[in-house]
Amino acid sequence: MVLTLVSAAVVGWLIWSVYFSPTPHEPEEELNEPVWDGDMREGNAPAPMWWFWLILGATVFSVGYLMLYPGLGSFSGMLNWSQDARVSNAYEHYQNQFQPVREEILAASLEELQSSSERMNTASRLFARECAACHGRDAGGQLSMFPDLTDQEWQWGATAEQVEQTLRSGRRASMPAWSGVIEESQIEPLVDYVIAMDDSDAEQMPGRAVYMTYCVACHGAEGEGNAMFGAPSLQDDDWLYGGDRASVLTSIAAGRAGVMPAFDDRLNDAQIRLLVAWLTREQ
Amino acid sequence: MSAVLEQGVIDRSVAVPDTYYDKVVLRLVQFSIVWAIVAMGAGVYISAELLWPWLDFGQPWLSFGRLRPLHTNGVIFGFGVSALMATAFYSVQRTSHVSLFAPRLAWIVCYGWQLTVLLGGLSLLGGWTSSKEYAELEWPFDIAIALLWVSFGIVFFGTLARRRIRPIYISNWFYGGLIIVIAMLHIVNNLALPVTLDKSYSLYAGAQDAVVQWWYGHNAVGFLLTGGFLGMVYYFLPKQAGRPIWSYRLSIVAFWAFVYTYIWAGPHHLHYSAIPEWVQSLGMVMSIILLAPSWATLINGIMTVSGAWQKLRTDPALKFIVLALAFYGLATFEGPMMAIRSVNVVSHFTDWTIGHVHSGALGWNAMITYGTFYFLLPRMAGRALYSTSLANLHFWLALAGTMLYIMSMWAAGVSQGLLWLNLDETGELRFNFTDIMAGMAPYYGLRLLAGLIFLLGTCLMAWNLFMTIRGRDPVEVTAPDVDPLYEVKR
Amino acid sequence: MTGMSLHKKLEENTGLLIFGILVVSAIGGLVQILPVLNQESLETPTGSTEPYSAVALTGRDIYIREGCSVCHTQQVRPLIAEVERYGPYSRSGEFVYDRPFLWGSKRTGPDLHRLAGKYSDDWHRVHLLDPRSVIPESVMPAYPWLEDAPASEVGDIQKKMQVLQRLGHPYTQDQIEAAPQQLEGLTELDALVAYLQQLGSAVSREEAP
Repeated sequence: MVLTLVSAAVVGWLIWSVYFSPTPHEPEEELNEPVWDGDMREGNAPAPMWWFWLILGATVFSVGYLMLYPGLGSFSGMLNWSQDARVSNAYEHYQNQFQPVREEILAASLEELQSSSERMNTASRLFARECAACHGRDAGGQLSMFPDLTDQEWQWGATAEQVEQTLRSGRRASMPAWSGVIEESQIEPLVDYVIAMDDSDAEQMPGRAVYMTYCVACHGAEGEGNAMFGAPSLQDDDWLYGGDRASVLTSIAAGRAGVMPAFDDRLNDAQIRLLVAWLTREQ
Repeated sequence: MSAVLEQGVIDRSVAVPDTYYDKVVLRLVQFSIVWAIVAMGAGVYISAELLWPWLDFGQPWLSFGRLRPLHTNGVIFGFGVSALMATAFYSVQRTSHVSLFAPRLAWIVCYGWQLTVLLGGLSLLGGWTSSKEYAELEWPFDIAIALLWVSFGIVFFGTLARRRIRPIYISNWFYGGLIIVIAMLHIVNNLALPVTLDKSYSLYAGAQDAVVQWWYGHNAVGFLLTGGFLGMVYYFLPKQAGRPIWSYRLSIVAFWAFVYTYIWAGPHHLHYSAIPEWVQSLGMVMSIILLAPSWATLINGIMTVSGAWQKLRTDPALKFIVLALAFYGLATFEGPMMAIRSVNVVSHFTDWTIGHVHSGALGWNAMITYGTFYFLLPRMAGRALYSTSLANLHFWLALAGTMLYIMSMWAAGVSQGLLWLNLDETGELRFNFTDIMAGMAPYYGLRLLAGLIFLLGTCLMAWNLFMTIRGRDPVEVTAPDVDPLYEVKR
Repeated sequence: MTGMSLHKKLEENTGLLIFGILVVSAIGGLVQILPVLNQESLETPTGSTEPYSAVALTGRDIYIREGCSVCHTQQVRPLIAEVERYGPYSRSGEFVYDRPFLWGSKRTGPDLHRLAGKYSDDWHRVHLLDPRSVIPESVMPAYPWLEDAPASEVGDIQKKMQVLQRLGHPYTQDQIEAAPQQLEGLTELDALVAYLQQLGSAVSREEAP
């Protein structure tokens, strides 16, 4: 490419123009040198040789580097180095290097992982990195929006398999918005019923009938919930979006559509395994 | 005048030597100081926002993302360019032995520039931005800048073309390089198709845009913040030291090697990015070669002062200029090191880069400018500096502020770089991003302190210089005679 | 002729000096920039890279306006730790519709190039409105004003798309006509979240690194 020629020529010119600098100057020049602004002169000290070696060294290094690495246009360098090749090699090496550790993790039972403080330590760092932004550093949930993972309530199921499924594929809750479907006058009684559900006299409340019409399919006759649809239990005092009247009203009227992102292609199997072990450990 | 000379009458009293036109210089210096305080103040403010993010009070225009471009543009184009214009106009007259060409145009440049920077700065706060670093201003401002820059060039080269001494003094080469190369970079990088007054889309996309932008970005540093300010060194350093430039030949080599090499170095901002490898490699090797011309000027400067060291004790202007050279040497060494691929892996994207920029911007650009201002104002006022002890205090504040700034950012940057890359024995990342970021708070605190110290020094200077010039017009200076051997015959 | 006498000519003639500086400083640019601008592979889309939708384009312009690129890079380097932290490293072909590029130069906050799908829309909303409500240590500014401003007022979307079309982005006439309708009822916050949620999604994660 032209590039090679042009740069070589100009670098050559540079060296050449440096080279004349150590030549001795004519004496008469010194006497009659120009003076600017009354007292400003240009000194005649010869350019120092070590500086010449500095630029020569830098140039030699550069030429060497450009012979080895891509730089001179389409010439790819004698090492045939490329970013893509470098990273895929490094990545392969990285995978191989840690393969045994990962296999060990995958082969271990959850109990074994849970009893190893070293593994749980790694897992908790993983959690801090990948999960804490939503669920909080202590996994205690945040903002009446991101669920607490330390309690016994698991909207999508508490078994290791269910938790793993949640991690891998993510979850998309779909509590519909009922305003417009359920008559306005019936929503208030429904809210009262849902809040009072676990009381013994709740059966008598007018909202019970509305509940049995619209809500029972997902949340169950007794409000026990159904992990398959991510329909939470309504019996307990645990409310992701808030248990006060206003929040429950919003949940029913406007619906809720919480999303858990899928981590299948962000985390490797060992990482997911570690997280499952950490999340399902006894606390 | 020329008629007289053609008759061979070398009678200076008849030839009416030119009186230098310095009013516009003084005004530019004043604007420059105002911008220094405003823009550095903005810098201090955003550094505080990194500690206490609520400091934006929910206001869009106080938000970090909008204030930061105001800080950089204010420092570079407000403070830096105003100072460069002032010193270029001042020195080109004296090294050409003529009065300024087209003084009216010079006034247009002076006020037009301030207006552009002011309105441009406000537009940045309003969210008008192209997001390309140091070229954030949208297209109407880009056009204004281009026109004003060409006018700046006309005044400068016009003065140079009328010079009465044949050889062109070294400082003018550097100022010339500044004007020409910045014009080229500015126009090419800002090519865009406008949508509305406040919005345009770049002519280049993706990786190509990145290469063009950093060709611009790096050389805005190269030819403006380095080349332009080297012009200052070549005039004000020998003038104040009262000694000739040490080696004329080294200056020649340094200048042309500088112009040739610097322009290649941009891609070192894009190491390990999605641009072609050969571009990265060229950027890297040219950055390393660049050490040579950079240090050639350093040697030339230091050797020029040597022999006048005793002046350093008493002369605040020279103190600042020499310290600036030291930081120049430091920053131009650090730069090539950071351009090496394997060093860049650690330094890239971290606060180390911020520290590097400030060792240049505070240690080199600001100090050399302050030294120059301490030189200029007493001369223009025709009386001694209002307070030398205040200037000495400023010197120590500036030094302390810069050192504290650089060191805190080194510590922060190296920690970030290494911790981001750290893997544990199971191949997992050892640290999460949030923890590393949160760990930077102490360094950010020190940096804030450093900025405050530096800003305080700048305010002291502003007061000191104000009291020096207060109410006075620049003293009229007439051009001295030129040796007939070098005189331009007209 | 020696270098010295050549230089004597240059330094005694303003025009020659200007010309000399211009030529010498242009070489680097010509050799580096021109080939890059002509390199077709840098203009070829990778994977499923497509021009931004009207909503994402609006979101991107908000991202630019608020200066997000001051603190966030969009450029995952081909290094193990970065691939592990963020995802597959960035390919040039993913950026062919980025005018201007938004790679950034400083990571005060994390890289965002592989952000798509990492968080839910809800998280992005609360995080943008009040970052410290979900990440207590965060120093990111809050952007409360995005919630009230309509997305349709972030410039003239049709004109924007026409300009981009002139620059070579393959928008169809239908897409341009439908654009205002797509923005209807959306806030700036919606548009920004839509932009963030498609960042870096053109490259499949299975191809990692």
